[in-house]
Amino acid sequence: MSVLQRNNVAVRGSGEKAMVFAHGFGCDQNMWRLVYPAFENEYKIVLFDHVGAGKSDLSAYDREKYSDLNGYADDVVEIIRELELNDVIFVGHSVSAMIGALASIKAPELFESIVMVGPSPRYIDEGEYRGGFSQSQIEELLDFLDDNHMGWSAAMGPTIMGNPDRPELSEELVNSFCRTDPDIARHFARVTFTSDNRDDLPRVKTRSLVLQCKEDVIAAPHVGEYVHEKLPDSEFALLDATGHCPNLSAPDEVISAMRNFL
Amino acid sequence: MSATQRLVDGLTEDLEDLYEHAPCGYVSLDRYARVVKVNATICTWLERPARELLGRPFHELLSVPSRMFFETHFAPLLRMQGFFHEVAVDLIAHDDTRLPVLANAMERRDAQGNLLFTRITVFKAAERRRYERELVEARRAAEEARRALEKLNNELERRVEETVAERLKLERALQNERKQGVLREQFIAVLGHDLKNPLAAIDSGLRVLSREELSDRGQQVLGLVSKSTNRMVELIDDVLDFARGRLGEGIPIDRSPPRPLGPVLQQVIDEIASSNPDRTIDVSIDLNSDVECDRHRLAQMVSNLLGNAVIHGDPEQPVRLEAREENGRLVLSVINHGKPIPPEVQKRLFHPFSRGEPGGSHKGLGLGLYIAREIAVAHGGTLRVRSNEAETRFTLRMPLRAAKRRNPVKQPDAN
Repeated sequence: MSVLQRNNVAVRGSGEKAMVFAHGFGCDQNMWRLVYPAFENEYKIVLFDHVGAGKSDLSAYDREKYSDLNGYADDVVEIIRELELNDVIFVGHSVSAMIGALASIKAPELFESIVMVGPSPRYIDEGEYRGGFSQSQIEELLDFLDDNHMGWSAAMGPTIMGNPDRPELSEELVNSFCRTDPDIARHFARVTFTSDNRDDLPRVKTRSLVLQCKEDVIAAPHVGEYVHEKLPDSEFALLDATGHCPNLSAPDEVISAMRNFL
Repeated sequence: MSATQRLVDGLTEDLEDLYEHAPCGYVSLDRYARVVKVNATICTWLERPARELLGRPFHELLSVPSRMFFETHFAPLLRMQGFFHEVAVDLIAHDDTRLPVLANAMERRDAQGNLLFTRITVFKAAERRRYERELVEARRAAEEARRALEKLNNELERRVEETVAERLKLERALQNERKQGVLREQFIAVLGHDLKNPLAAIDSGLRVLSREELSDRGQQVLGLVSKSTNRMVELIDDVLDFARGRLGEGIPIDRSPPRPLGPVLQQVIDEIASSNPDRTIDVSIDLNSDVECDRHRLAQMVSNLLGNAVIHGDPEQPVRLEAREENGRLVLSVINHGKPIPPEVQKRLFHPFSRGEPGGSHKGLGLGLYIAREIAVAHGGTLRVRSNEAETRFTLRMPLRAAKRRNPVKQPDAN
């Protein structure tokens, strides 16, 4: 299976320059559907699902390879090379911000800039550092994953219904969005929430933008500021939006912050 | 008429009361996900007054793991499709206890599609969540058991594969060795034949010379050369027997019709006695029946056994030969006294090129006992050794008559 099939890569738009969007833990490339159309006329848009998420090839999920964010970063580099792109603008949400950072360390020549939406280099508190969670809370989260059965059963029941108010959402989308194999979800959660990439931040030579929501329980504003401080060449933008997914809750703010940066 | 009075009278349903005291909890959030309205039911469940809840971000009502899962999964799902159903979360109640619930949510947007607020309905689900957790645990246990079984299965398969591969390898090595062995033995056979011809020429030359008149020294040399030639013929015969035995044909035997064995044995004893005049050979032959055998081969064997007994036995004590019948079988033993054969030497005594104890003075190829046993086997018999401080005893046991079908007896000539 090719890299493009493995990661369910979709390419659209006609620009010279490419913008690569990467989703975070929990959902899939549809996370960007309110953002990328704004750039479709100027850029070539590349969307993909991490292996284990969305419509990626689940059989390619190798627990050893993906026991560390580097496995995902290798995939990003592979996708960009496969599409024969360079100087891309990488837009990563949540854990994918760090995945993009790692990919840019591996192959700096491929990246022109990185936009990090709600990044965190470490979620667990350690010494002076406040990631926002204790080790035991992370363990509790892993248990909690079992209490929601998205992916447990083949049929999702009521959520399969289409939404008459939002006709642009096909049933197909509703079915797959946020739905993962429970074992993979647990493993990805463990890898994501126990990762520590603080030491990698100073090694990112690519120009970066940190997009931070003013209220984010997953990656708090001071964590975003920390990332901004440690990155050698970065800008910081605090959004008025709340929550961890401004790409869905405040797409216009995200788009304009990105435009300012670019 | 008050609302309660109207309810009491059963006249109408009061919508305000329905909201406040519905059998489920209601929470409304503004577009920043802050709690703007809650009903009495949820306040009762959480044992928290409404004022404690109002104005707070919704995630603050959730336990930490619920909060994380909600933010990464359900908040985006809600934004994406405008609603979610049957989401499991834990709410934080009074005293920091947890209230497991299932929640449905729906967004309310204006005509332009801008989010106005989100309505969340909450159902108590402690029992159901516990049951579901047990189901998940059971499923996980089953999955683990299946994996363990699969692992075990794979391990077994791998071991079987390894064993088979090992076997095949051994078999191939064995076959290879056999092939090489066959070549080697063919070589020995050819060599034996090619060596025997010139030796025959030497032997007849010696016989011619012996009839000539020779000086004393000439006579002496002729005797030595004759002896050496005979010795060499014997060695080559041994090598040939060995090669034949090993080529799978077995030592060829040529049975003559049943006849008394006594004379054959006596002749061998006389030969050994004459070349070892200082040794005593006690003989006890008690045979009433005739024996059907290759008389030449049997003589070869007995000569070998007696020769060994004389060489290795204690020179101060007699060598002994016993022959008797036992249940239709010939039992023939050659006995000597002296140092016993060590067990490890006994083990390979009948192997070809076995030369007894290392450093022993015995000359020869070490084929004698190998050939002796082959002769015994060719006669449907056995040759065994028993050696201890008292005596060393080689015993041949073989049927007096050949089994008819497998070893057809040569019929005597009609005339």
